[in-house]
Amino acid sequence: MEIISERLLKHPFSLEGNTTVITGAGGAIGGTTARIFANAGSNVVVSDLNLETANATAEEINKLHPGKAIAVKTDVTKSEDQKILVETVLKKFGKITTLINNVGWGEYTPLLGISKEYMMKSYELNTVSTYELSSLFAPYLKKEQNASILFSGSRVGDTPSPEFLSYSNAKAALFNMIRSMAVAMGPEIRVNMVMIGSVDNGAATLDAGYTQEMLDRLNNSMVMKRRGYPEDIAYAFLYLAAPAARWITGIHLYADGGGTYKSKMPTDD
Amino acid sequence: MYLDKLFSLEGKVAIVTGGGNGIGKASAIMLAKAGASVAVSDLKLDDAKKVTDEIIEAGGKALAAECNVTEDAHLVSLVDETMKKFGRINFLVNNAGGGGGGKENPFKITVSDFEWRFKLNVFSAWRLSQLCVPHMKKDGTGSIVNISSMSSIMASHNMSAYGSAKAAMNQMTKYLAMDFGPEVRVNAVGPGAIKTDALASVLSPEMEKEMLKGTPLNRLGHPDDIAGAVLYFCSPASQWVSGQILFVNGGGIQSLE
Repeated sequence: MEIISERLLKHPFSLEGNTTVITGAGGAIGGTTARIFANAGSNVVVSDLNLETANATAEEINKLHPGKAIAVKTDVTKSEDQKILVETVLKKFGKITTLINNVGWGEYTPLLGISKEYMMKSYELNTVSTYELSSLFAPYLKKEQNASILFSGSRVGDTPSPEFLSYSNAKAALFNMIRSMAVAMGPEIRVNMVMIGSVDNGAATLDAGYTQEMLDRLNNSMVMKRRGYPEDIAYAFLYLAAPAARWITGIHLYADGGGTYKSKMPTDD
Repeated sequence: MYLDKLFSLEGKVAIVTGGGNGIGKASAIMLAKAGASVAVSDLKLDDAKKVTDEIIEAGGKALAAECNVTEDAHLVSLVDETMKKFGRINFLVNNAGGGGGGKENPFKITVSDFEWRFKLNVFSAWRLSQLCVPHMKKDGTGSIVNISSMSSIMASHNMSAYGSAKAAMNQMTKYLAMDFGPEVRVNAVGPGAIKTDALASVLSPEMEKEMLKGTPLNRLGHPDDIAGAVLYFCSPASQWVSGQILFVNGGGIQSLE
């Protein structure tokens, strides 16, 4: 396999000529990642359950970079939608270089008494769908230089999180998934994960059950003294997708403001 | 243009220890390309000078310093010299280190040899951080990148001194990230086997094939693979990332055993 010296590259972080598919890209982190990837030169496919927000993101990108973005409505848990996503990407851009499995959802659930149906639904959305999409895109990723699959991981998948059990268990499963995929899909496809700390997602954060007082406590407990901006996560994705990271696979990188001085996330106890 | 700005180190100053060859050299050149003035320190002044010549020829700013990182006076003068020439310090790449190589038979290595490996790999990085961080804080921004090793988390024969020194470096990285934040970030890069000129000169194709048996990306590392991680950790792109140990290893362990 060819080793490309940085000196031969235009820019170690350039995504020029790439096509990136981002699920859940109508939201704050996914949408910001789409904008930043387009700024770095990539075509972007903005996939989201909510076509309205996906369209808004794609339109915004196309204003700056005409023709670089499309929006696709995808329910990642439906095989029919997954197939439509793959077909649309190939039809529009002819290839895929990076898949970002960013879609995910979790909310406060009491430790005991979560229904089997709810547990399965969380697992299907946060874990199984990423496996299915990765499998569907793999044959096309293999054809491209420096192809990679990225995952949105979460701090709660790595720390005791009894208040988010259905979500934290599903995210924890991704630890093994990325390492197994890295072994099976190399050397053509790299597989990595960004472990996302507490990010200001606007309204979605409050919807997830946080109060302002909890958020203030959280900010103060963090080494960087603030929650993340969606950009902080997008930059980590950018690095892991870029030529600069071409010898990195099977790892998870925390973008979490240096962590917290306490081992447990603040709760309303 | 956008990327140049996002990864720009324009107007900033970096110190790279062990910057005369391999990973240190690649990192010094990468940081200089991103706009930083670089103090390249090395045990061998000639090696450091070759790197600073390359940086200056390409239009960058650099100074070469002879420095044995196990000598406290050398570390103090490295920081003084950098401040005198460039007026600030923003980045420190603790790359100088050594040991391992299967030469640490626990029944043969002496206490002083064991201590020396900790002095070279851990104490030097801690002391230089202590000297640099006040300057970084004064400037409002700083980033320390410690060059660790896969030896810090794996295990193999006759490397207990180097391996445990690098493990100590990982943990020191996490603690100092807490102590020096939020102004100064501290991260580490753990390289797998890098095909430096030194390694390439002793490596047969058969040995290389053997080393790559468990490596998904099926090649040895290039010094620029590590320099890329160093630039990421120094740049504004990683402004919310601290206390991390990033393994850049092709997805596996390269070993001859």
